[in-house]
This record gives sequence, C-alpha cells and structure tokens, in this order.
Amino acid sequence: MTRPKRDKVSGNKDAGHETVVVCGEVRTALLQTSLPLSQDQCARFLALRPDEPVRVSERPNVYAVSPDLLTGVDCRLPAASGSRVRGVGTVRAHAALTGGRVIQASAHFQYTTSVSGQRLPWSHYLVRPGLVERLGRTTADDLTAGFLAPRATEPGLLDPGSIASRLLDRARGHELLDGQPPLKSRRTRLRWAVRQVPPGAEPSVHFTIVDTERRTLLLLLPGLMDAKAVASVPPFCEELALHDWLLTTLIRVVERRALGSLSGPEVANRLGPAVSHLLHLWLPGARSGRELPELWNGVEQQPGFTRQWQTLVQRIRDQLALQSLPLHDSAPESSRAPTSAPRR
Amino acid sequence: MESVFREETADPRTESVPLSHLSLELGHLYMEDFAAGRTRLRSHFDEVRPWAEAARAAAVRTHGPRARVSTCFLVDDYFTRHSSPSLVLPMLCEEAEAAEVRIDYLARESGCARAGNREPARAVEGRLVESPPPGSDGSRPPASEVGWLSNGQRSPGHHADSAEAMAGTPPAWAPASETGAREHSVFLDVELWSEQKGERLWSCPFLAGVWQLLRLGMLRHDGAAVLRPEEFGGTFPAEWAALPALLRLNRRAQPFAAYRTFSVLPTRFLPVEHAVRVLLGQVHIEAPVREQVERRAKGEGVVLPPELPDRAHYAFALEP
Repeated sequence: MTRPKRDKVSGNKDAGHETVVVCGEVRTALLQTSLPLSQDQCARFLALRPDEPVRVSERPNVYAVSPDLLTGVDCRLPAASGSRVRGVGTVRAHAALTGGRVIQASAHFQYTTSVSGQRLPWSHYLVRPGLVERLGRTTADDLTAGFLAPRATEPGLLDPGSIASRLLDRARGHELLDGQPPLKSRRTRLRWAVRQVPPGAEPSVHFTIVDTERRTLLLLLPGLMDAKAVASVPPFCEELALHDWLLTTLIRVVERRALGSLSGPEVANRLGPAVSHLLHLWLPGARSGRELPELWNGVEQQPGFTRQWQTLVQRIRDQLALQSLPLHDSAPESSRAPTSAPRR
Repeated sequence: MESVFREETADPRTESVPLSHLSLELGHLYMEDFAAGRTRLRSHFDEVRPWAEAARAAAVRTHGPRARVSTCFLVDDYFTRHSSPSLVLPMLCEEAEAAEVRIDYLARESGCARAGNREPARAVEGRLVESPPPGSDGSRPPASEVGWLSNGQRSPGHHADSAEAMAGTPPAWAPASETGAREHSVFLDVELWSEQKGERLWSCPFLAGVWQLLRLGMLRHDGAAVLRPEEFGGTFPAEWAALPALLRLNRRAQPFAAYRTFSVLPTRFLPVEHAVRVLLGQVHIEAPVREQVERRAKGEGVVLPPELPDRAHYAFALEP
C-alpha cells in the first residue's frame, strides 16, 4: 500500500497538483486632462512610493507603471457554490499610464491553500505578497466562476475592484491634471480570472461584455504554470482591458450621434480629439504578446478586436477625408481637425 | 506551493548594509533635558550604564566575546529645536563618555523624516500593509489615507473610515478588538501624522518606528541604503539642519545597523514603543532586503525571530 505523497510545503496531499487560480480587476479611464502627460510627468504622476521607482518604457509607446501597493484582506471569498470559504492574504495593485493618456488601475491576487487551516501572524502574509490563502474546501472552478459572477461584488466578499477604484480616485486629484479631457469617455472595469487546465488542452479566452461598463474575462491555460507564466497574466489582462476601452470609447465617439447629421466642423470637432489622442495607442499584444501570443490570437479571432477597430478607424478617416474635399461648405479656418489627421 | 511572484527577488540592485549583532540605544532625551544642563545629562547616562552593560553582556553570552555591538543616540530635533549642536552635542558626548557609555553613532530625529533628498518616513508609509481585521474585503481605506494604524478592528463610529459614520446613521456601539488577540484584546490605534498648514507632521511613534527599521537595516531607497554614516570631523555645526542625519563619532565602531536592537528608555516611552511594535508588524520589507539579512544571520549562526517586532528589545528602566 502506498500512502499519498504529501507536499512538504503545503502539507496538503493535493497541493503538488494544486490548480493555479489568479484573479483580478482592471479599471480603465481617460486621464482627465487636456494634454497627454510627458514621460517625466508620467513618472511623477505614478510615484506612489518614494523609495521605489516608476518603471517607464518608451516603445512602442510611452508606458509607465507605478510600484506595487499591497492591501491586506481577510474576508469571505466569492464562491459560485455559495460555500463559506475565507481568504487571508494580500492583494497587489498598481496604476499604469499608456501614452500619458489612458490610466489603468489593476489589482490581483493568486489563491493558495492554507497549510495551517487558520489565520497566522501577519508577517506570514507579508512575505507572500499577492497571495491569498483560502481556509475552507472549494474547487478552482468554484472560485473562478464565483469571482466572475455578478453577485461577486456584494460587500463582504473579496473585492480587488474596490482597491483598483481607490487607486483611480487617488490619481484623479493629482496636481498634474487640469480636469479638462479632450473627449467624453466612460470608465470600464474588467474582472478577470485565470484557471490552470490539464496539459494538452487548448488555451482559451472567454471575454464577455456584461454592460456598458463591466466586462469579464476567463482564461483557461493548459499545462505547467510556473512563476513566470503566472506573472505574465496580469499584463495581458491589462492590455486587453486597454484595447477594449479604446474600442468602446471610439465606438461611442462614432456612434453617439449619427455622423451624417453633423456639419463639417462638427464632424471634425467630434473626431479630431479621438484621432489625435487615441488612434496611435492601438497596439494589441505590444507588451504581453511575446509571452502569450496564443491568447492574443484568440482575442483577434473572437471577438475580433482589431477587425472592429480598423472598421471604425476607416469610417473616421472617410469622414475626415470628406471634410477636406473642396466641394464641402465648411470654412477652413474654423476647422479644428488636428494636423495628425490622416489625409488621402 | 510557495510564493509565486518572485520577480523582485531576482533583482540584483539591492545594496547590503554591514550588520552588527546588536544596536544599543543609550536612552532618549527631550530638548528640555538638554536645557537642564550637564548634570542632568550625566545623571541620564549614569542611569543608562548598568542596563547598557547588561545588554552587552547578554550579546556576549549569545554571540561570544567577539559580539559586534554598536551604540547610538537619537537627538530630538524634529519636534523642538534647542540651542545649537555645537553647544549641546559636545556636552552630550563628554557626559556619556564620563559615565563610560560611549556613543558610537549620533542620529537626528529629523533624519527619520528627511535625510538629504530621501524621505524615510514617506517610504515607510508607502510600505505599510495593514493587518486586516476579519471582514476586510479590500474596501477599507489604507492607513496612508486615514493617518491612523491600529492592531485590530476599531469600535464603529469613531473614525473617518467607518462607512456607517459617513452615511449619517449613528452605528450601534461595539467594542474595538485586537486581531489575533489571546482571549482578550489590547487594542491600540496609532496616529501616524497630522497636517499643520498643509505641512505633514509625523508622529513620535511613527518616527520611532522608522528609527527602529533603520537600526534593523531594513530600509532602502531604490535598492540603495537610506542612511550612510558620515565620519565626524571633530566639530559640530552651529545649525541643526547642517548636522548629518547619521554621524559616526567612534571610528572603530561596529556597524550601525544590526540583527537586533536594544533600547534603554524611560518607562513613559512604553506606549510609544508599543506603537512601534504595531507598526513593525505591518511594514512590508522587500524580499531581497529581508532575505539578505536572513541569509547572513544564518551564515554566522545567528538565530533571528521571523517577526520584525520581536527583533526589537527594551529596558524601560529610566526615571522620567
């Protein structure tokens, strides 16, 4: 008779095969200021901790991310089955700016099984940043489904969204912002969960638009998920949230009022800011495409992000091209079409 | 499965600081003590001496005759500024030496708030990760916004972060509770700072916590050591602001930072140091720093308590 092999670290007989589950939420919004922040301003804006630098990359566009902040949690976990499972640990959060124009606040954590079955001294959790230990029995499926369910945002349940939201609120009052955004937009929130599936399965992406603001994303990733693989997931989700927000915002710009019913200058006023502030930010997979190319391929097939984006951009270009035709009755001096507007 | 977010561990930029076995603090004085003159200082160090000797003897018992012990003294120039360093400090050092408790390192309390272009207190504030009382779902504002840090669950209705209080309905009273208490609570709520005319004034317990973290070698600024002792040139400046944040008075002193600290203090500092313990237990030390210290302790056979507050020791023994 062989005894089940116990994992030394976790003491749980299943722990060697513990299914990796990572959950998080990303909130995305237009930075409420008239001009995009420069690279230096981005670094100042995101300096949430004086002793840790803001990481800035210049290419393919200016992208800056704040140092991580940790928040301690001890509460019920959203489980689809409704079973009472407690989680204790820390949630990681940071804020990021893309192109000095779009702000994102992201909070996430990874589940792990509690070895002791009880809450331990706080130092135990402080040395495991970003891990939430669950006390109580449940399955990986139950946790991911519960996290993505609408009722998961009830008070008292672990909510990384409130942490992300607070980061956005904190950023809103910054002295670098003049409160005069060039276009109207809405915040979006993407709640995401990643679950490891057995090796051999295809990775899959389930992206759902719940309403005008909320989206959910379930990623099923096969095979080994080591630290590196786990660390590559939040950047993918943030990048996906950014592109979903760009698409959502552009759709709003184009469809808010039928473009055909507007005068020439009105069309230019409406489309100009979107052209100069948003179009160049579309670079799906620029930051996470190398680690997770198959996920980006999945997103491009269904819902076909780039296809939709290109269709919208084409419409905008057509409209602006119409403005530049000499037959049109718009007065050139009143046109505020930006210089970067593409012409044919 | 162990922690999976390990990227910071691989970071090679973290500077290591030299470490003694013990950092021994030789009391703490207010500016009025300095104002009281030489006799007061002498009696202070006379009082400190037996406790300092006991701490040194305990270190020798644990680490052998080659135990590395450094002594330090923190001058309070943050809350009140008395006279001038060039008048006060020679007197302080002479009286300590006369009482046979030599001061190896002299630090000024303002240095815990700002040392050159570094702001250790701000950095520590950014590293506070509060121990969440049961029921914390992430919606509670952090200590850095509220300005208070506790060791448990506040009684409802007494603080700005109470949702019920903001909604306008007076909440039902409930007792505060200490997280992880043994049967009964000793609840403590610590004010970290206040604002005066837009200027932040750090509280004494908070700066005392920063001081302990500096002595324990736990603070870095972008990977670099926060405080580097400057050699004493033989004369003290006329202005407090011109005094280095950390001055090495004794060239042959053992390193300033240490695996453990021992502070000889008047009993009235007990509540402050209780607050320090609460603070130390909720500071997130970056993994490379923590692991550096642990690795070196292990390398020389030193046993380190895993909990940071347990590395700070005290004798509350002096007259007020």
